[in-house]
Amino acid sequence: MDEKSKILIVDDENGLRLGTERLLEEEGYYVESAPNGNEGIRLGKSKEFDVAIIDLKMPDVDGLTVLKEIKSVHPNTVCFIATAFASYETAIESTRLGAFGYIPKPFSPEEIIYQIEQGINQRKLILESERLKKEREENLLELANEKSRLNAIIKSINDGILVINKNAELVYYNYAALKFLDLAEIELGSKILNILPEKVVKTVNKLFYSETFHLKSYSQQIELKPNNQLIVEFSTTPIPNSDGSLAGVVLIISNITEYKKIELLKSQFVSMVAHELKAPLAAVQGYLNIMIDKSIQLSPEKQEDYLKRSLTRLKGLTDLVNDLLDISRIELNTKQREIEQIDIREIIENSFQFFELDIKKKNISIETHLDENIPAINADYNEITRVVTNLLSNAIKYNNTNGKIEIELYKSHNYLILKISDTGIGLKPEEKTKLFNEFYRAKNEMTHGISGTGLGLSIVKIIVDSYHGKIEVESEFGKGTTFIINLPINIK
Amino acid sequence: MDVKKILLVDDDIDLLEQNKVLLESRGYKVITAENGAKGWEAFQKENPNVAIIDLIMEEMDSGFILCHRIKKSNPNVPVFIITSAPYTTGFKFSASTNEEKEWLKCDEILNKPVVIDELIAKLKNM
Repeated sequence: MDEKSKILIVDDENGLRLGTERLLEEEGYYVESAPNGNEGIRLGKSKEFDVAIIDLKMPDVDGLTVLKEIKSVHPNTVCFIATAFASYETAIESTRLGAFGYIPKPFSPEEIIYQIEQGINQRKLILESERLKKEREENLLELANEKSRLNAIIKSINDGILVINKNAELVYYNYAALKFLDLAEIELGSKILNILPEKVVKTVNKLFYSETFHLKSYSQQIELKPNNQLIVEFSTTPIPNSDGSLAGVVLIISNITEYKKIELLKSQFVSMVAHELKAPLAAVQGYLNIMIDKSIQLSPEKQEDYLKRSLTRLKGLTDLVNDLLDISRIELNTKQREIEQIDIREIIENSFQFFELDIKKKNISIETHLDENIPAINADYNEITRVVTNLLSNAIKYNNTNGKIEIELYKSHNYLILKISDTGIGLKPEEKTKLFNEFYRAKNEMTHGISGTGLGLSIVKIIVDSYHGKIEVESEFGKGTTFIINLPINIK
Repeated sequence: MDVKKILLVDDDIDLLEQNKVLLESRGYKVITAENGAKGWEAFQKENPNVAIIDLIMEEMDSGFILCHRIKKSNPNVPVFIITSAPYTTGFKFSASTNEEKEWLKCDEILNKPVVIDELIAKLKNM
């Protein structure tokens, strides 16, 4: 023991008391002593001794009372009753009151040292068992906390959880499960299968009634509310007993509505792409078939015309594939952006050169109002060029002969504002809302014969969005259209 | 019925040209139109024996509207719809039963691009 063991001696016989005190001190113990019962009680209560030796017969208070009093405050102090008047009754009574042993008087030094050692060992055992008891209590408390914490976690999970035992009774659930099943409450122990979707019940029953089972989940997608309002996935997993038999099943219900919607959009997009790719191919194939058909006589002019038309359609196809690749690059972030300081004015000037021929062909006049004090912005040169050329290309394509294009560039707060207006055919209100959809092309009596991939504005929007900018459109059918791009100046 | 004069309506000018050339090479007289409105105009003016109409033109339903107009004005003129709608929309429909023909106001539905021999066979069946 690191610290000296503390011994208390209570005895009215001075000689014996002091002799024992000295003996034990020599043995390395810390000893205090009391010459009478009252002093013994006072000392014994004032601090916790490891061992106390109490004389049975004392003039003021008897040893059994002293024992009782000390034990009432320090129940773990190991007490011996010492007496010359050993009797069977006092022995029983002192043990009843919690004495550890009985030391007959007179005792030899060896005897008393042996008894003290026994007492100290007992004291160690008591303290160790106290410590273990306390630890166990703390563990239990922790376990209870853990359990309630786990409970709280499971209850707040978004996925529904139902645990069903082999008698098809509900043994556990969380609130999300109630919500999915559209129930206000559900009783533990109630038969649950009749309120579950048929497909799920089949799976559960299959597990219940088969001899063996595999520890794997069975997933089923179920429309809980019609018209794709709520689609969930039930995942059924067996719970094994320790002997390997089936204890029950756990059902996890996850909301997959959004995921299914995206899946649908994706497959719609794929079929739209396939169709857009097929149309020009079919046109080219058609011309080629006619040209090799020996039964059809074609003039050289017609033949040339068909080849030219085929080339035009193939060019459209190439443009489409390039646009699609651009979209996927931007959306998948596979293209490394080269952010540099760029001057939008320069991009606008260059774009005019690029479309010079088309502008001349339609005799379109251009008017620019580019603010001189526009700061350079940090952006990818090619992406911003794409935004400007796609908008300018539309402004030319959908413009009338002898029309006008107006380009305005200025700073407003922390934004660069780029406005590109044309005096072309304009948009009907219902067309405006669909304008940025992939493959949407305004189809009306005025757009006939204008070619395009239907992806130009989608690309513009994707790029502008990726810079946390905004694109707006103002238009009047038959009068013209204005696209307004807002780009934050500190774009990264 | 001896089919001689066909009205072709399609907003894909290449397919329109190709089907025209193919049908003419098989001895038919072909009138073409690039949209529903022009198709209706041509129908009234030319009195074709058969109309072959693309379903989705400038408006999603302009093919249907033209079919309806033609059948209303002359129920005896066979109307064929050519379409790629099943590929793009996944929405499949047919005109195999009388009820379907009545409802769709057409006699045949052909998938795009049209296989000319299939089309000729149908025309000969009329």
